[in-house]
Amino acid sequence: MSKVKVWDPLVRTFHWALVGFFAANAVFVDDDGKVHIWIGYTVAVLITIRIIWGFVGTKYARFGSFPPSASAASGQLTDIATGRKREHIGHTPLGAWMIYNLLLAIIVISASGYLMTTDMFWGVEWPEEVHELAVAWAEVSIIMHVLAVIFESVRLRTNLPRAMVTGYKIMNSDR
Amino acid sequence: MIPDLSTSNRLPYSLMLLILVQVLCAFFFASDIIADYQEVDRSGANRFYLSLEAIATLSIFAAIIFETKYILELLRRKAHLERSMSVASAAMNDVILAHFQSWELTPSETDVANFMVKGLGISEIAQMRGSAEGTIKSHLNSIYRKSGAHNRGEVLSLIIDSLMDRPESRL
Repeated sequence: MSKVKVWDPLVRTFHWALVGFFAANAVFVDDDGKVHIWIGYTVAVLITIRIIWGFVGTKYARFGSFPPSASAASGQLTDIATGRKREHIGHTPLGAWMIYNLLLAIIVISASGYLMTTDMFWGVEWPEEVHELAVAWAEVSIIMHVLAVIFESVRLRTNLPRAMVTGYKIMNSDR
Repeated sequence: MIPDLSTSNRLPYSLMLLILVQVLCAFFFASDIIADYQEVDRSGANRFYLSLEAIATLSIFAAIIFETKYILELLRRKAHLERSMSVASAAMNDVILAHFQSWELTPSETDVANFMVKGLGISEIAQMRGSAEGTIKSHLNSIYRKSGAHNRGEVLSLIIDSLMDRPESRL
């Protein structure tokens, strides 16, 4: 067993800040209020910082370390199907797809939400429809993300949520 | 001429996409039905149609589970066919898998047995599976127990026996 530093403070802060702000805007804050809009701006800034960090950040934070790959994803599915317990230090291939999916969904949410506030789109229906559809999609994705994290934690016997808090992942195989 | 089987070796990406769409639909319908049920007493909406919708949604969830199991089964079959495209090795693989199924091996044991049949040692199998050698040894023990064989050679004999048409078996 070994302890590997995988998530830098920026990645962790981004992750949990996004959790908080998304939950706030989706569940707790009044949709028509100013607070909702300001939280939306904050989320947009967070996403921008994360994307820049994806190019200049630490090793496992870079997009280059978790490229979207169908063959790698099916490799992970094969591991699941055959009960193999090969570990990934950074993001897993399936996890990578979820990250790109969530980033894209939240970009769509932010952009459509911003359009709703502009004079140009005042009284226009589609930005609101896009906004709500993207939010629903993001919520389904988040449910699947949480279920997948629990599933992988059990399958590989390592506490993945804790790694996102402490930054350290416990690896069972020594490599 | 040996037909090219590479197409049958490909992953069903369209099926995966279908599952993804179904997951999305299932969640939308489920949340819709939950919302409708909460309103049913106030608005007097038709409970009959609501039940029909619930059954339809449940069947989508059932289909998702069924398709996921099918894909995992396919991946298990494909796991040991990575490079072989020939009819003979695909057929051989099926014969081997049929034996493993008749012995009721778990997915993990089937994987270990496959590596074993191909001549890999315990440490190699452990490395391929990301497990400890002790884990592989206990998998091997249950393979021997379930198949009734005592060692690697006997497991291979059981498989090869079924490929040979022995005269006694016809009597």
